[in-house]
Amino acid sequence: MDTQQSDTLLLPQEVLLSAGVHIGTRVKTKDMIPFIYKVRPDGLFVLDMDKMNERVKVAAKFISRMDISRVAVASSKRYGRLPVHKFCEVTGAHPLVARFTSGTFTNPTYSHYFEPVAVIVTDALADQQIVVEATAVGVPVIALCSTDNNLSNVDLIIPINNKGRRSLAIAYWLLARQLKRELKELTPEQEFSVSIDDFESTM
Amino acid sequence: MPSCISCSKRIAPGEKTVKFPCPSCGTVTIWRCERCRLFGRTYTCPGCGFKGP
Ligand SMILES: [Zn+2]
Ligand SMILES: [Zn+2]
Repeated sequence: MDTQQSDTLLLPQEVLLSAGVHIGTRVKTKDMIPFIYKVRPDGLFVLDMDKMNERVKVAAKFISRMDISRVAVASSKRYGRLPVHKFCEVTGAHPLVARFTSGTFTNPTYSHYFEPVAVIVTDALADQQIVVEATAVGVPVIALCSTDNNLSNVDLIIPINNKGRRSLAIAYWLLARQLKRELKELTPEQEFSVSIDDFESTM
Repeated sequence: MPSCISCSKRIAPGEKTVKFPCPSCGTVTIWRCERCRLFGRTYTCPGCGFKGP
C-alpha cells in the first residue's frame, strides 16, 4: 500500500493516489531523499504526500507576495504545457511553453524579452535553459521535482510526480487554487470554478 | 554586505546570487551564494525555521 496517514491533505487521498502524484521513478537523487517516503517492491521510489502538500502551500504563499504577471511558468514537457497554460490563464502568470529562446530573460533587445520576478519550472532538468537564465538574472526558481531531480539552482521545490499527465494537472490546479486562497479570492470552503479536468492535457 | 544563509560567506559584488523573502514567513530575506545555490545546499530561515530548497 502507498497510503500515508494524513488528515490535512489539500485533496482527498484517494484522488491523489489514483492520479499517482506520489509516484516517483526508479532513480533517487541525494537531494530528494528528504522528500521520499519509501521504495516500493517494484523499485519505484514514492514521494511523501505530506511534504508535497506542505510545499504546495508554501509555494502559494511565496507567489502570493509577488507581482503574478511577472512570474514565468515553464514546461518544455508536452504533458505540462496545457496545465501551465491553464494555470497562467487562471492566475495571470506568464506562460513559457514554446521552445525557450536564449536571451528571453537576459537580452532586453530581444522581441520576446521578459523580466521575471520568479520562475516556476515543471522539471528543472527538461527546463534547464530557463533555470540557467533565471540564475543569471538572480530571480528565485520554484521547481516541481520528482525523485530523480537534483536541486542545483532551485530555491524552492514542490515534490510531486512531474511526468504523469494527470499528476501535472493536479499539481498546477492545486497551486492555482491555493494561490487564490492566499490572495483571499477564494475561501477554503468555496469551490474552485475550474476543474482538474480543465488542467489535463488531452494529447 | 549581506552573507549567504547556508555558508555565511559574504556575498561578493557582482556575484550571481539570489535573494528572496523566506517562502514561508515572508519576513526574513534569504541570500544564497552562487556555490550554495549551484550545489543545492539547504538553508534554514532564522525567523520561522523553514528549511529549503
Ligand atoms: Zn553559500
Ligand atoms: Zn521564514
